[in-house]
Amino acid sequence: MNDKTVLQQIEEGYKDVGHKDSHYISAKEGRIIARANSRIVSRLEKNKKRKADESEYVTEMRDPNNIVEFDDLHTYFFTDSGVVKSVDGVSFEIPQGSVVGVVGESGCGKSVTSLSLMQLVQAPQGQIVAGSIRFRTEDFLYGEDGKPIPLYEYVRDEDGNPMLDEQGNPTVLTRPVLDKKGNPKRDKNGDPIVEKVQATDADGFPAFRRVSKTYDVAKMPASQMRKIRGKEIAMIFQEPMTSLNPVFTVGNQMDEVVLLHVPGATRESAKARSIEMLRLVGIAEGELVYKKYPHELSGGMRQRVMIAMALSCNPRLIIADEPTTALDVTIQAQILELLKSVREKINGSIMLITHDLGVIAGMADYVVVMYAGRIVEKGTVEDIFDRPLHPYTVGLQKSKPVVNQKTDWLYSIPGQVPNPIDMPDYCYFKDRCQSCVAACNGEYPPLVKVSDTHYVACYLANGAKESDK
Amino acid sequence: MSKQTDFTVSDFDPVNILEVRHLKKYFPAGRNFFGKTNAWLKAVDDVSFCIPRGSTLGIVGESGCGKTTLGRTVLQLQPATDGQVIFDGVEISKMNKRQLRPMRTQTQIIFQDPYSSLPPRSPVGDIIGEAVKVHNIVPKSDLKDYVVDVMRKCGLQDFYYERYPHEFSGGQRQRICIARALAVQPKFVVCDEPVSALDVSIQAQIVNLLKTLQNQDNLTYMFISHDLSVVEHISTHVGVMYLGSMMETASKEELFGNPLHPYTKALLSAVPVPDPHYHVKRIILEGDIPSPVNPPKGCKFHTRCKQCMDVCSQVVPQLKDVGNGHCVACHLYDSPDVETSQQPSDTTL
Repeated sequence: MNDKTVLQQIEEGYKDVGHKDSHYISAKEGRIIARANSRIVSRLEKNKKRKADESEYVTEMRDPNNIVEFDDLHTYFFTDSGVVKSVDGVSFEIPQGSVVGVVGESGCGKSVTSLSLMQLVQAPQGQIVAGSIRFRTEDFLYGEDGKPIPLYEYVRDEDGNPMLDEQGNPTVLTRPVLDKKGNPKRDKNGDPIVEKVQATDADGFPAFRRVSKTYDVAKMPASQMRKIRGKEIAMIFQEPMTSLNPVFTVGNQMDEVVLLHVPGATRESAKARSIEMLRLVGIAEGELVYKKYPHELSGGMRQRVMIAMALSCNPRLIIADEPTTALDVTIQAQILELLKSVREKINGSIMLITHDLGVIAGMADYVVVMYAGRIVEKGTVEDIFDRPLHPYTVGLQKSKPVVNQKTDWLYSIPGQVPNPIDMPDYCYFKDRCQSCVAACNGEYPPLVKVSDTHYVACYLANGAKESDK
Repeated sequence: MSKQTDFTVSDFDPVNILEVRHLKKYFPAGRNFFGKTNAWLKAVDDVSFCIPRGSTLGIVGESGCGKTTLGRTVLQLQPATDGQVIFDGVEISKMNKRQLRPMRTQTQIIFQDPYSSLPPRSPVGDIIGEAVKVHNIVPKSDLKDYVVDVMRKCGLQDFYYERYPHEFSGGQRQRICIARALAVQPKFVVCDEPVSALDVSIQAQIVNLLKTLQNQDNLTYMFISHDLSVVEHISTHVGVMYLGSMMETASKEELFGNPLHPYTKALLSAVPVPDPHYHVKRIILEGDIPSPVNPPKGCKFHTRCKQCMDVCSQVVPQLKDVGNGHCVACHLYDSPDVETSQQPSDTTL
């Protein structure tokens, strides 16, 4: 049964549903949709819950400098009125140590892209149906018992080199195990019991053997994903009030992250870590805020707590989903400044999702412009702002008034985003575009390479001229 | 008890449509054991301004600074604690509800969130036509034609008349809100963050619509927003509020070209600019806006001000005209020897 791909199954399942001309669907069509939905969703859900061998989802990066590669990602929502293709064939990459900004209007799929990376898409109706998301990480190396293999301190000579035993292996440093009174414990023969001394990392937590791995998040079972989510990839949400739990103190929530993800963390070390993180995000009275509840903090303060929580496990990627939309301009400037400094401190990457082009221009290195679930243009920040090619990017920039720039009339993109259930066969932007050419009536334009970094999905950039009308 | 019937004010300048004098709006914030209010939240604290006919006054400020309360109090949607609101020569702040009713057609408001400000169970035609019916603006037989006319003016199609608000997108709903406000032929409209909940491309459509309607009907707007770039685009005059007080008022060109108050400077420099080559030292304000229940003594801004002096924590600065109709409430511009030339214009953009 499963020899068909999910995409083929979707195409077949809904082929009898034709609501091209009408806004409404008949009862018969509704039944067809419901049947197809349950068939496809149950197949995908089963796949997610399976016990998978690691080899199924470990892959290789196309470019080792990238930390994340989205490759032809399709995330669909199976609703009662049809399939909503929220993300429809999105490919872009996030290089190590850079800020990638994703812009677009609401409903263009920018948040769903990031939620797919976290495997947090609203299930069962929201599903990643095809494509892959490759994520490179330094994960723990797990032993046969399923626990991470610890790193030990070695006995070192005066120069700091580990001393070797007869077989040539370095000798592990040991220390006697003490009982409650502080006396060394002894076994039956009266010899002191010794334990190996575990090495600690820079944060004072026990160190474990690590190995560089690349996971395909789209194929990962949910149980595996839990080990990465919040630790290697952290997320900062738009509304800090709704994403913090109102019945627990800030400290309680922050400690939970550390206790869950750092093996060997104790309550004390977790608390120390949380307070240190609060200080890192510019909260001077970390101890005080640690004991407070979210409702006692202001909006900017809450967003700082969210950022501190995201940082507490040294993530390699931070997803900031509209981190400043709910905040005032002055607080927004504070938070953006903070995000910039944080990136330098942890040497991680940031995926910044926003609809504010001003924020993108100030923060991002690379920009991805999305429209109706697809990428219309991507490139470096200079490409997008100095040499925008897609009419949508141009329109977006022109429709935003700029302080101290005199315009009598704002440019506004006419019309609205097309209905997501019933996307046209031609370019999705054609009905709102003012520089259409004859070629635009053809199928959706492919993403064309303009320069090494600059890609655009438009026939105009592909050699078609406006005079071809 | 004699009922006052004449509310005309003698010293009203007919150039203006609205004049606000020392307006105050306090909310009770705490009670003692016996139930007597012992703490007040000063949402609007001694604000004065006037709006000339056909112009647009933009009000900017952070959330919680009293922008929305000011808008609602000006329209007498909630009674003022103290002060005068004079609309077209009539002091509406002294009227009772019944006396206010005929005034309601002259002043209207457009709310921020088009998703929660439309009744979900009424079709669009009823929403727009209800106030028209109540105020008898057109004869009953012409009502539908009139409503369709207003809808067309606001960029809504005729067949939307029978539809319900949930069938529309955010931009369309905001158009319905605008049509509802304009259906009673007001002279003065308070726009309370009308574009904050909308997408950038839709924002431009709504801002353009508001401007077109202003030119057509000679409307006067009070445009409340936290988005400085939108305010700059639509306003002729701008007022900057902080913790319930007006910090600076000036014409648009003056305020954006030559901001004087340190708070205005910080606010302007915090606006993100969509240009990757634009680098300027931002003035980052430390901390948060203080609680309006317990505002700082003296100048309310002195706790976050970089140019704070000793006098700032003692004396409340008054809004003073420093020339060109530019009023600023700051001790930096107090004495004549500290002229504007001393201020380095570090926020020239």
